[in-house]
Amino acid sequence: MALPIKYNIRNVIVRWRATLATILGVALVVAVYMLVQSLAVGLEQSSGNTGDPRNVMIVRKGSTAESSSQITREQFRLLPYLPQIARDSQGRPYVSADVIVLINLLRRDLKAEAHVLVRGISPVGMKLRPQVRLVGGRWFDPGKREVVVSRRLAARIGHFEIGDTFKTGGKALTVVGWLEGGQSAFDSEVWMDADEARSLFYRENYSSVLVRARDDAAAAGLIDRIESDKRLPLQALPEVKYYSAQTMTAMPIKILGDFLATAMSIGAVFAAMNTMYASVGSRTREIGTLRVLGYRRRTILLSFLIEGAFLALVGGVLGCLLSLPMHGYSTGTISFESFSETVFQFRITPWLAAKGLTFSVIVGVAGSLLPAVRASRLPVIVALKAV
Amino acid sequence: MAPSNIVSIRELSKVYQQGEINVTALNRISLDIQTGEFLALMGPSGSGKSTLLHILAGIDRPTGGTCHVQGIDLAQLNESDLADWRNQNVGFVFQTFNLIPVLTAFENVELPLLLTQMSGRHRRQQVSTALALVGLDDRQHHLPRQLSGGQEQRVAIARALVTDPSLVVADEPTGNLDSHSAQEVLTILQSLSRTAGKTVIMVTHDPKAAAYGSRSVHLEKGELADS
Amino acid sequence: MTTLTFITKNALRNKRRALLCILSVAVSLFLLVTLLVALREVTVPPEDIGAALRVVVRNKISFTNPLPARQRAVIERIPGVAAVSPFSWFGGKYKNEEMMTFGQFAMDPKLIRPIFGEAKMPEEQYQAFEADQTACIIGKLTAEKYQLKIGDRLPLTSIIYPCSIELKIAGIYEGTIDDRNALFHHKYLDEAGGSDGWVGMWWVKVRSIEEMPRVTDSINRAFANSSAEVRAETERAFQLSFVSMWGNIKILVHSICSVVVFTLMLVTASTMSMAIRERFRELAVLKALGFRRRELFAFILAESFGLAAVGAVLGIGAAWVFYTQISIAKLTQGIFITFEVTPKIIGQAALVAASLGIVASIAPSIAVARTSVVDGLRTLD
Repeated sequence: MALPIKYNIRNVIVRWRATLATILGVALVVAVYMLVQSLAVGLEQSSGNTGDPRNVMIVRKGSTAESSSQITREQFRLLPYLPQIARDSQGRPYVSADVIVLINLLRRDLKAEAHVLVRGISPVGMKLRPQVRLVGGRWFDPGKREVVVSRRLAARIGHFEIGDTFKTGGKALTVVGWLEGGQSAFDSEVWMDADEARSLFYRENYSSVLVRARDDAAAAGLIDRIESDKRLPLQALPEVKYYSAQTMTAMPIKILGDFLATAMSIGAVFAAMNTMYASVGSRTREIGTLRVLGYRRRTILLSFLIEGAFLALVGGVLGCLLSLPMHGYSTGTISFESFSETVFQFRITPWLAAKGLTFSVIVGVAGSLLPAVRASRLPVIVALKAV
Repeated sequence: MAPSNIVSIRELSKVYQQGEINVTALNRISLDIQTGEFLALMGPSGSGKSTLLHILAGIDRPTGGTCHVQGIDLAQLNESDLADWRNQNVGFVFQTFNLIPVLTAFENVELPLLLTQMSGRHRRQQVSTALALVGLDDRQHHLPRQLSGGQEQRVAIARALVTDPSLVVADEPTGNLDSHSAQEVLTILQSLSRTAGKTVIMVTHDPKAAAYGSRSVHLEKGELADS
Repeated sequence: MTTLTFITKNALRNKRRALLCILSVAVSLFLLVTLLVALREVTVPPEDIGAALRVVVRNKISFTNPLPARQRAVIERIPGVAAVSPFSWFGGKYKNEEMMTFGQFAMDPKLIRPIFGEAKMPEEQYQAFEADQTACIIGKLTAEKYQLKIGDRLPLTSIIYPCSIELKIAGIYEGTIDDRNALFHHKYLDEAGGSDGWVGMWWVKVRSIEEMPRVTDSINRAFANSSAEVRAETERAFQLSFVSMWGNIKILVHSICSVVVFTLMLVTASTMSMAIRERFRELAVLKALGFRRRELFAFILAESFGLAAVGAVLGIGAAWVFYTQISIAKLTQGIFITFEVTPKIIGQAALVAASLGIVASIAPSIAVARTSVVDGLRTLD
């Protein structure tokens, strides 16, 4: 009983000049929504992508980030002998104590500053993080004031080219290599020798301890053991879970994205409404004719709703296409968890595109509802007499 | 054998409100129309001829009296049923053609059939037949704006015929046509009545058009005048 | 009938369309003002008169690194320094809350009035605070948010110090730019946090404006080449350095504002154009009656300007009323403190509305200019 879809589609196409602005408006709303949300997705993906499932992260109880956690030497001493920890061929336990320091450095444009996360790491620690690879230069030598920085971070911070030197704490550090973190949180880090870091930054304590458990059951056992030990004010959880829980920074961005989209779409709904009212207004006689031929009111209603939805959908597709070039674009911001510069990419996923398109259809339907109702309620005779 | 009355109108009235005033468009009209007639409804503007046409075509309702078409009291049908009834039993031809601009001639003629259960193939046959009847099957895929006024009206007639209705109703069908096209259209309407046995009811103010009909009826101020 | 009433009647001929236009403009301008105000709030910390004479001294590596307590004596001896207090950010979460909603700072309680003079609090509360090492004072906003009174306890769990503490509220202050923070005894932190001998930062009050640059410089040089080099800067510079951490977010918000403006222009301009095109015939009639093109342009411009103006008053006005009346601190749970709709922002939004009015009239004006009277009269729209 419905009117053929080609009727609706052709009507939209034929009035393209009048509807172009509305389509563009919807496109922009969807594009903004997708861009802002893809920031949040990128942030979440980067932290969600971090860690090895076999590792267990140990930090101080109550710390939300490694950078604010402290583990004393006494507390650390108790850990390597736990039976659940895996050992290498020589019987040495896979345990690594890292030191995290935040330092102030100038950005690449040398105008503003950023907080950069430096990780003092041991050779074992590097083994426990197979995600991270060297992509330029070489690893640092222990005992030397050398660092390896993330390649993506080097694009944003000044003096991070291989061979450059920068100063912090009155001492000079030399960049000897670039690392790639495999699109994880490690892409925002600077690595150096743990002992060098402790002496350079006068750190008595460690920040975090990373261990590899023998297997999943051992990991669970280890976590239990540590959490239930009253002497140790420590918490333990799988490394992967630790990083994926760091969504604090993504949240406000998501909220911003939703707010913007909703607010902008109110304007878009008004525009769609106007477009559809104009459409109904110029097709009054046509509507009357369809009624005479026997088409029902609700068919007319549905028809205009479909047109509005189709119109907005075109805008939505356009919006998705507009935002697509930003996919993979690298950017950075300060993380609310670690207070350090976090590098990540815009990530536009099919799911996000689906949300954007759904959103546009909702705008289209919302905007055409009143005009469609009006069209369906037109008395036949009045409609036929229209000019 | 006496031809039966396809339309039977008794004491038909139509009063409507225009602002604060009650306007009587039709005042207790009684009229019989026989099957196969080509009836011309004539009268000056405001005489109620269009109103009468609308009522017996099922797109308006009377406020008093009865109107039976093919034995059915139209006032008893609800809106849904009335729509279905129109689709099957009435073909309407308008002064302004009223073709859907975005549909081709073929698609325009097909429109009434989409409301039926006909198969696609069957529909296409019907449409082709209707277009052939009005001599336009070579222009099936043209859009209305690619057709002349006369051609548009002929497509409209094909649309009016495609469900094979017994009643064809035309409201000033030649009002927007040049004299040559007007002649063509009137000839077609005439043959519908004479050859196909359809009842054609035409509203017109032009006596030359009315002459194509088999009978004329005059209305004045909502009442039948003796002609 | 004057020209003005003619234009007004025209605009209101299709009330629904006029209303939709106006609403569209109003909503978009409201959004624009909101964005501009939020952006300003984030990038320009509120002017703080009291901060003019204050200097913040932090570890040069980053403020997350502590400073040795012995530096205090050195700073006190620098000429021009009126007072020096330790200033350590506790980073505590209140009770069981997930996020930190207000800052807590450990300092020397005797130096509150010399350094933090703009805070207003009854004398006896200052005394009570100084007397009790476990005491604290909190800002009025926080007190209201959690309905705290004098004598209540304030349990805090730090995310950077390995401890949880419980402070007793001895006073509630107001009158500063940010009436949220809690201040407590540094000695208490030394004992509870196990950080005796270290402070987070130094808060320095300088005697006069003229001495500021010299004092800042002296402090920096005093610790050059030591194991804890410092960066001393004015409090305002310190606040602004935080802002620069946001990095690209500023650019992002700026871009979004531009896009919003553009979308607004596009959508509303087309809506208004449609409205005017609808009345082509009338305009053609006016032309036939002898009105010159100039005058028709003026009509069109006046109408689109009028619609934009009404929308602007509605949208900007609503934003202004909303943000002045509503306590934004309460609404956003302290994420934003003030949402000031400055004259500059109002001006920017008004400018956008004005351009909108002009842009919207362009297309119809061109069409009117091009169409001959005959065509216009023939228009069956």
